[in-house]
Amino acid sequence: MTGIGWSLVEVAGQLLEREERESVLGDLVEAGESAWQGLLDVLGLVVRRQTIHWKSWRPWLAAFGLALPFSFLLMGFSLSVSRSYQNFVDSKILANGLTIGAGFLLLISHIFLLIAWSWTGGFFVGSVSRRTLWVSIASSCFPCLFCLARFRESSLPRLCLLLFLVPATLGVCQGLRITRIKLRSAIVLAVIVTTLMIPLWNGGLWTLDWVLIWPAWYMVASARKTNREIGRS
Amino acid sequence: MLGEFEYLLITAAAGLGDNAYGASIREEIEATTGRKCSIGALYTTIDRLETKGLLKTWMGDATPQRGGRAKRMVRVTPKGVQAAKGFYDAVMRVSRGASWVANRTGSAS
Repeated sequence: MTGIGWSLVEVAGQLLEREERESVLGDLVEAGESAWQGLLDVLGLVVRRQTIHWKSWRPWLAAFGLALPFSFLLMGFSLSVSRSYQNFVDSKILANGLTIGAGFLLLISHIFLLIAWSWTGGFFVGSVSRRTLWVSIASSCFPCLFCLARFRESSLPRLCLLLFLVPATLGVCQGLRITRIKLRSAIVLAVIVTTLMIPLWNGGLWTLDWVLIWPAWYMVASARKTNREIGRS
Repeated sequence: MLGEFEYLLITAAAGLGDNAYGASIREEIEATTGRKCSIGALYTTIDRLETKGLLKTWMGDATPQRGGRAKRMVRVTPKGVQAAKGFYDAVMRVSRGASWVANRTGSAS
């Protein structure tokens, strides 16, 4: 298996699970297929596998109900957090420490919300769409590239739009590993986020930002369902 | 009831016995039917039949002629044998009297 054609077959094979990739590529070598026929075979299998995954509602919700719209909202909020930080630093310098208390609390609350929303969103994507994760990632990349290309703020770097990516990525990794968190942790997280959003609503939160709360409550519902199932068995 | 391709796959796997795995089943189906069998159709059908409990699969040893890659071995379960027999009986029953059946009763024109 050498040459560009077989390299492409190997790359396409990465879209299959490890054991299946092993047996399929082995079958192609044994059958003495040409690289291009092998590539078509592997891609055909990948398409069939993906089609099966997309019969469920989960990957649709993860990619187009969460990753795509949340990326827009979280980029807006990342920008808002960056501005809050900038205002806090400026006011700290100008007012010589007089407004530090309120400004600091507001900044901390915004940072916490950004981390919590991004992490819970990432966790949802990782836990419900592990086999279609690449589509969710692509759905998230589209708004990021769109906004990065149109970013015109001179006082802030472009990267401040992507602050949400670090906690979101951690959430995805965690979601891929454990699928559900403990009920108590889920409730504490959801309640803190909701409670924090109420006073901040008048202080700069966008009404649409309330949408960002549902993954946290989904985690509660999911953990509760798991506890019930364990209780029954 | 089984589908046509499912029946072909189970029958090929049963005939191959201990040597039933992806490539050998594919070769057998292509040789007996004269039709191309895609890897996608083969592996998705194997998965479906395994989910139904009609096949059992496991990863076998890697061999040099496969570039050091392992085989996905296949064995037909007793439930799979029953399902294939049911399909075969149904085909035989429905084919009685058909003009293309060699020893059919009734006149052929």
